[in-house]
Amino acid sequence: MSQAQAVETAATPVVEIRDLHKSFGALEVLKGVSFSAAEGEVISLIGSSGSGKSTLLRCINMLEVPDSGAVFIDGEEIRLRGQPPHRAIADERQIRHIRSELGMVFQSFNLWTHLSVLDNVMEAPLHVQKRPRAEVEAEARALLEKVGIGAKADSYPAQLSGGQQQRAAIARALCIRPRVMLFDEPTSALDPELEVEVLRVIKLLADEGRTMILVTHDMDFARTVSDRVIFLHQGLVEEEGTPEEVFGATRSARLRQFLSAGDHR
Amino acid sequence: MLDLLPEWMRDGLGDDAAFWIGYLTNGKHLAWYASFQFTIFAALIGGALALVFGLVGASLKNARFLPLRAVGDFYSAIVRGVPDVLFFLFFPLAFEQTVEWFVSSRVCTPDSIAASVAPWPPCPQANWFLGTTEYLLLASVSLGLVYGAFATNVIHGAMRAVPQGQLEAARAYGFSAAQVRWRFQIRQMWVYALPGLSNVWLLLVKATSLLSLLQIADIVLWADRLGAPNFLPAVGLVHPDWRWRYYLALLVFYILVTWLSEKGFEALMRRAGRGVLAEVRR
Repeated sequence: MSQAQAVETAATPVVEIRDLHKSFGALEVLKGVSFSAAEGEVISLIGSSGSGKSTLLRCINMLEVPDSGAVFIDGEEIRLRGQPPHRAIADERQIRHIRSELGMVFQSFNLWTHLSVLDNVMEAPLHVQKRPRAEVEAEARALLEKVGIGAKADSYPAQLSGGQQQRAAIARALCIRPRVMLFDEPTSALDPELEVEVLRVIKLLADEGRTMILVTHDMDFARTVSDRVIFLHQGLVEEEGTPEEVFGATRSARLRQFLSAGDHR
Repeated sequence: MLDLLPEWMRDGLGDDAAFWIGYLTNGKHLAWYASFQFTIFAALIGGALALVFGLVGASLKNARFLPLRAVGDFYSAIVRGVPDVLFFLFFPLAFEQTVEWFVSSRVCTPDSIAASVAPWPPCPQANWFLGTTEYLLLASVSLGLVYGAFATNVIHGAMRAVPQGQLEAARAYGFSAAQVRWRFQIRQMWVYALPGLSNVWLLLVKATSLLSLLQIADIVLWADRLGAPNFLPAVGLVHPDWRWRYYLALLVFYILVTWLSEKGFEALMRRAGRGVLAEVRR
């Protein structure tokens, strides 16, 4: 590889989003959002409810198909076809492959209730990635230990607390060896006591140098964990920068108003 | 039957006991006992087919392609609306005559049609003689079709009851649409479907009492025959109208089947509800 190629490869963002638009009926939720995440970068998406941050995150793995714009994962554009409102995924094989490398953690955990915690973690590596069972099981058990619920491997999700369920969901995401971790308000459904244990795990992953995109309402956490913070307002990027820039030298009046609201910690 | 017993046992029996053993083991009673196999066969095969038709019907109702959805909707709406006795009589007859029509188009010649005296089938060579086995199979398919329409609606509702977030999570992890359907939606829907399916199953079991409508000498027909007042020229009146006694035996049989079914469904529910139902959490 030449030096120029090496530089170019190194510079290719893991996730790149270009001019994303998305409407639900008459409501335009995203009005042209662009950003990219480099290898090892932790990005927090913040904004008030309805600002489009969850929709933006869900467009990365095409749980929501954008009306226009493009999403690139490791430089590969996700192929779409048709025009809104019938715009759809063009290549099912491609999207399945890309999704199998994006570890998503949901607000309401979405663990598969009919499977034990261990089986939840092993399910995608075994049946999507087709990796050997022995290897996957060893990795799954190690990940459950890592997130602090090794003893719960054989329990069902309903037998776990909310915090334990979310940590199981994080282990499930990690077990696919993701290129990027996507967190959609991972602590919003948790009591403050349970929230701490989940945030501790996410912080641990950030410190490991994983590429992560987080939607969060927790400003303190966004400040601590992020390399970059993006503030969305009414479907547009209103302000973007390092946590010091966004929280310490806020430029946008709307963001100042948002941060001064009492419900953000 | 008494002849099969050792002599010391025969001698020890009183006259009453000897009479009852002899009576309850005569040829007609043995035929009655054997006819339980028809009822059990029709219930098991009909039940299995109803489940298959239910899964297919529910999949059709969930299909993206409009004509497939229309077929699923038509099946569950129309077949559920037709009285089961009518369907029970209609389907085997329609099937038999369709086969005869198809065969007649191949084997009948103008001469054989002209020579035929019966209006149907067109020629004697196309006549399909249905015996007990054929009627039993057609009865089982009829039961499957009728109760499959009910099962379609039960399974369709149960599939929609599976939390969408879990299916979305499966898609987010790269599972294909077929994997999402089979590995998550169908595996989880049982817990919602089983109470409804147990109803469908018990209705189907009850409907097995209609087998005699299709010329099958089933438990109901035999009970009717055996319970009727019985005269023998040599003996006179063997017994008066005993039908209620035989119907009572059928009642006990159906209650036993219901009890066993309940136990079976409870066991299935425990298995399907692992991790899902509150009562199996602890």
